[in-house]
Amino acid sequence: MDTAIALRDVVKEFDGFRAVDGVSLEIPAGGIFGLLGPNGAGKSTTIRMIMDIIRPDSGTIVVMGKSSRENVRRNVGYLPEERGLYKKMKVLDMLEFLGTLKGSSPRDSRKESQGWLERLEIADWAAKKVEELSKGMQQKIQFAAAVLGKPKVLILDEPFSGMDPVNQNLFKDTILELNRRGTTIVFSTHQMETAERLCKEIALINKGKLVLSGSLAKVKDGFGKNSLLIEYEGDGGFLGALPGVARVDGYGSYSEIRLEAGADPQTIFQAVVGRLKVKKFEIIAPTLHNIFIEKVGAQATPALERVGDA
Amino acid sequence: MHNILMVLRREYLERATKKSFWIGTAVFPLLMVGFSFLPMLLIGLGGNEQKAIALVDGTGKLAAPLTRELADEKLKNGQPRYLIENVTAAGSLDEARMPLEQRVRDKQLYGILSVRADIDAKDAFQFYGRTVGDIKSTAEFQSALRRAVIALRFEKANIAVDKEIVAKLIAPVDMQTNELSKEGGSTKKDFMEAYLGTFMFVMVLFMTLLLYGIATMRGILEEKSSRVMEVLLGSVSPDELMTGKILGIGLVGLTQVAIYALTAGLVRIYLSAQSNPDMAGILSSFTAGKMTFFLVFFMLGYFMYTALFACIGAVCNSEQEAQNLQSPVQMCLMLPMMATIFFVGQPDSTIAVIVSLIPIFTPMVMFMRICVQTPPAWQIALSIVLTLGTTWLIFRGAAKIFRIGILMYGKRPTIPEIFRWARG
Repeated sequence: MDTAIALRDVVKEFDGFRAVDGVSLEIPAGGIFGLLGPNGAGKSTTIRMIMDIIRPDSGTIVVMGKSSRENVRRNVGYLPEERGLYKKMKVLDMLEFLGTLKGSSPRDSRKESQGWLERLEIADWAAKKVEELSKGMQQKIQFAAAVLGKPKVLILDEPFSGMDPVNQNLFKDTILELNRRGTTIVFSTHQMETAERLCKEIALINKGKLVLSGSLAKVKDGFGKNSLLIEYEGDGGFLGALPGVARVDGYGSYSEIRLEAGADPQTIFQAVVGRLKVKKFEIIAPTLHNIFIEKVGAQATPALERVGDA
Repeated sequence: MHNILMVLRREYLERATKKSFWIGTAVFPLLMVGFSFLPMLLIGLGGNEQKAIALVDGTGKLAAPLTRELADEKLKNGQPRYLIENVTAAGSLDEARMPLEQRVRDKQLYGILSVRADIDAKDAFQFYGRTVGDIKSTAEFQSALRRAVIALRFEKANIAVDKEIVAKLIAPVDMQTNELSKEGGSTKKDFMEAYLGTFMFVMVLFMTLLLYGIATMRGILEEKSSRVMEVLLGSVSPDELMTGKILGIGLVGLTQVAIYALTAGLVRIYLSAQSNPDMAGILSSFTAGKMTFFLVFFMLGYFMYTALFACIGAVCNSEQEAQNLQSPVQMCLMLPMMATIFFVGQPDSTIAVIVSLIPIFTPMVMFMRICVQTPPAWQIALSIVLTLGTTWLIFRGAAKIFRIGILMYGKRPTIPEIFRWARG
């Protein structure tokens, strides 16, 4: 598999604070890659360094086999976490402009922008000023701006944050379609459910350091198939006190249980059956959510919002 | 290169196709004309009505000569401009004057001139009027009065002199000033003309430099606060963004200057066809040479100042914050403009030469000097070279400041910090 983006020992400090601390990563071409981590972990800083918006203090970043900065800006589409548009510009004019910055001529870019507006079902608003649009529509336009110019790699920083379910679905479908047609997708998120459903590969960053990386399947295998998913009616409060249970992630009507090494699921099953009305009992690999909690949660500290890193 | 062009294109189209640009372009010269010519025009226009003046004459002899001296002052319809109403003072002058004052208030009289019997006494001549600021008529009136009184003085001294000889003796001396040009030959020119002509250009230079500098700064602030900056930086480098922006907005400025130059040229052609000597004098300042220098110094000043303003925009988060940093830069533009009258008066003085060679002042001051009197070619060349060099340095520093500043939100960096970025 080709490598789309490779980071080697990348370090970035802000006023003595190590936002990114020696991260090495390989993002394979053609896949969907999730950059995961809690707030303030260094995700956005890493992405900004990949985009050459800020420069690393040390380490190298290679995009599509080349380290030329021009190459990054031409071939990589970018949706920053801090969304922003020219409020006073007309929608189509603005998209045309942003498209030309990816190398197209104004005419081609206008045509492409028009196409995206139709696809995202906001073509009627092409001649309106951005500030006249609702938040949902602005999100669509922001998204269109990122995918203009047919980038080979698309980097999305927290793409689904603040989005309503309808738009979330629309963008998810669009991202998947772009990926099918060969675009490498990289996105950062702290929503593990989304990552679990979309990603083939993940990297988990915490406090500027790489904690985990690899294909989702491998990562899960590494944690073993030693979790239980129980759906039930009744009060599951006692679950944590059962012998062999390491940790419970309870949600009222279902719980995910992580077992201690060597614990037998059958023992748990017998203990539960008498006390709860069990609707489902499944032995599973831990969810990404729980891997995340386990890897990060123990050392979780209030995330510091830093300049250049959010 | 493509990206610079595209940024330039957006800046130009977004600004030059705005209604506000065209309104501003139209309103600015009107304001200029308003400020510089309106008072003059008003004074010239105001006097087209007959003015009745009551003469409370202690001497009893002034009415005739004054009427005679004022006879040449005519309205457009040929009627005399001034009507002298002779009031013989029976008692004291004040007693005679008091009843007349109401008529002045009722606007039946323009004013009252009270003359003591002893015309050589201090305060012998007093004028009472509703408005006394009407400089032109007062000046006309005063000189007529002076001539009448001189005739009276001759009479008092028992010198019998022919009136025509008196007129010749007291005829004013009109000294014309001629400017020797470097190429030989001379042109008639007076100070006011030189000053006004220069000031107009300097004013346009000042306004455009300030306007477009601030426009650049605002543009950057807006991109920062609307957070569109980071979207842009995903596609263009900070250097490309800054260059494209400065060039694009500069081109808008040039468009405006070109519109003014064209308009001025047309007006000049029109006026010379009309042969209006008053305006022609001022418009004679619009020579091709001067326009060329204007363009040269506009561009020099533009790039230097805009780069500075761009830095300010990059390191600040709001216009209020920018205000503080902006004022020293504005001062550099403002000071020479306020001193225009000095530089026009003494374009060759040591101070003028030195100041015009300091790059930050060059665009304004060297241009002023050129307007009045062509300085030695080496000085012009040196000033341009120095300014270009400084601009290059500022640009390099600005690009670095820009790169760091545009992603900074939160606390504004201190001046020493900014300098450290510029060097780093």
